[in-house]
Amino acid sequence: MNKQKHSMQPIPSHDEAVRQDFVTDFRAFLTDEIYPKITPYYQSKIEPDFIKEHGRKPEDKKEVQNVMLQDSAYQSWSFLQRISQQMMFTSVIDTVERTLDELIKKTKKYSELGSLELDQTIQIPRYLTAYDIHQQPGGYHTENTENDISAGVVYDISLPIYSGDAMGDENDLLAQATINFIKNNIKTVPKKILDMGCYIGNSTLPFAKAFPESEVYGIDVAAPGLRYAHARANALDASVHFSQQNAESMSFESNTFDIVTSCLFLHETSHAAIPKIINECARVLKPGGWMIHMDVYPFQRNVVEPLYDFLKDWEVINNNEDFSGALREMDLQGIFEEAGFSEETIEFTSAEASSETNKGYTGDFYLKLPVYVAQKMA
Amino acid sequence: MAKKITLPRVAKGKNLIYLDDNSVDNILAMVMTLTQEISVLTDRLDTIENLMAKKGQINIDDINSFEPDNELQEKRSERRKILLKRVLLPIEKALDSK
Ligand SMILES: C[S@@+](CC[C@H](N)C(=O)[O-])C[C@H]1O[C@@H](n2cnc3c(N)ncnc32)[C@H](O)[C@@H]1O
Repeated sequence: MNKQKHSMQPIPSHDEAVRQDFVTDFRAFLTDEIYPKITPYYQSKIEPDFIKEHGRKPEDKKEVQNVMLQDSAYQSWSFLQRISQQMMFTSVIDTVERTLDELIKKTKKYSELGSLELDQTIQIPRYLTAYDIHQQPGGYHTENTENDISAGVVYDISLPIYSGDAMGDENDLLAQATINFIKNNIKTVPKKILDMGCYIGNSTLPFAKAFPESEVYGIDVAAPGLRYAHARANALDASVHFSQQNAESMSFESNTFDIVTSCLFLHETSHAAIPKIINECARVLKPGGWMIHMDVYPFQRNVVEPLYDFLKDWEVINNNEDFSGALREMDLQGIFEEAGFSEETIEFTSAEASSETNKGYTGDFYLKLPVYVAQKMA
Repeated sequence: MAKKITLPRVAKGKNLIYLDDNSVDNILAMVMTLTQEISVLTDRLDTIENLMAKKGQINIDDINSFEPDNELQEKRSERRKILLKRVLLPIEKALDSK
């Protein structure tokens, strides 16, 4: 199987390739062989022990957490899951480091379509610099050399390992689901589309391809991702306008876009940032325009099984996704209304990728994707 | 000559302890990396065996440019799974205990 999916990706050496393959198989092993044992183990050992001591079942995720973090069998799985992510990055970084100089030179060739605008004065928000989200060494923004693209390349070639090859050759499965949602439910033909937190354009390029008549814009704060995004878009023959901006305060004029979208973005910001970002969405949308954010977690606060609730938060603690838990506790409905979205159009629902894009993958995680949708008042 | 650039390999974040203390965690991390390297070596050997079966005489470039087809990929995946099952047996056993 050829690992190179487009010409801006590096080709791993023999040993690098099989080292990366090991991580793919290690993660599959954890998912298929170890993880399914946790619920039965909890039910047959942890919960009965808890009942013996307290005379009742654990009430919420906090109580489950207190006992699980003391349990070495659970903690062994958790630690293995955590280091599989670290091994993924180190095995990919070897390839990127070895080929980086050549790749940076190549970006010059891949620059004709669309545009790239960087802003050296931009401040990277603290929520992106305080710790490295999902354990990518250096995070999204770190620059290791001139015109650096390394963090973007690392992100690109680690996603197939992360997802067990479930995202499609262009890592576009999630955006395809959003596009399906727009085509089925919103039914406008957008003239201008904005993707916030676009990084390397995984979620942006599919819009340029699905709506060839429209102008597509992508913004992000992280330069290494944007430089790579522009070159990658050219390698994949897509025209997108990328610029380095903070979604909390953008330079676009008001009433510009028909659709403002994002993918895996909101859960990586902060409490203070969310209302600002939503206000910006409302400002740059045309009256009657639609906002649609796709994120990892369904947005519902009804009570679930405490063990399930606890396991759902695994990434929050163990994969440096600190804000993703807190986002679920926020009053997004209220924030949307406050920003000027009409109440009756606000929906926390899910979008589905079609079978052509999911490559036969049937796991719920990739097929029923949470979206938060709202229309700006006309 | 390509310019030598060094990239960071450790992520910034809280120091978490999973098992008894950091040194136990470190040893498990090192065991998994060694397991990975055993897998790399085995795959390299597998590449050589496959090339030898076809050609008789091979050189280093043949090895480095070898790309396994899907069938061989699957065979390798199966073998890695067996390796992982062996190495992680104590952990599987702990989760099976009642
Ligand atoms: C998980 S990535 C998602 C990338 C892409 N949308 C995808 O689907 O693959 C989240 C991105 O949001 C960016 N980001 C976070 N906060 C931001 C902000 N306030 N303004 C612009 N970009 C931001 C990060 O730099 C990062 O690239």
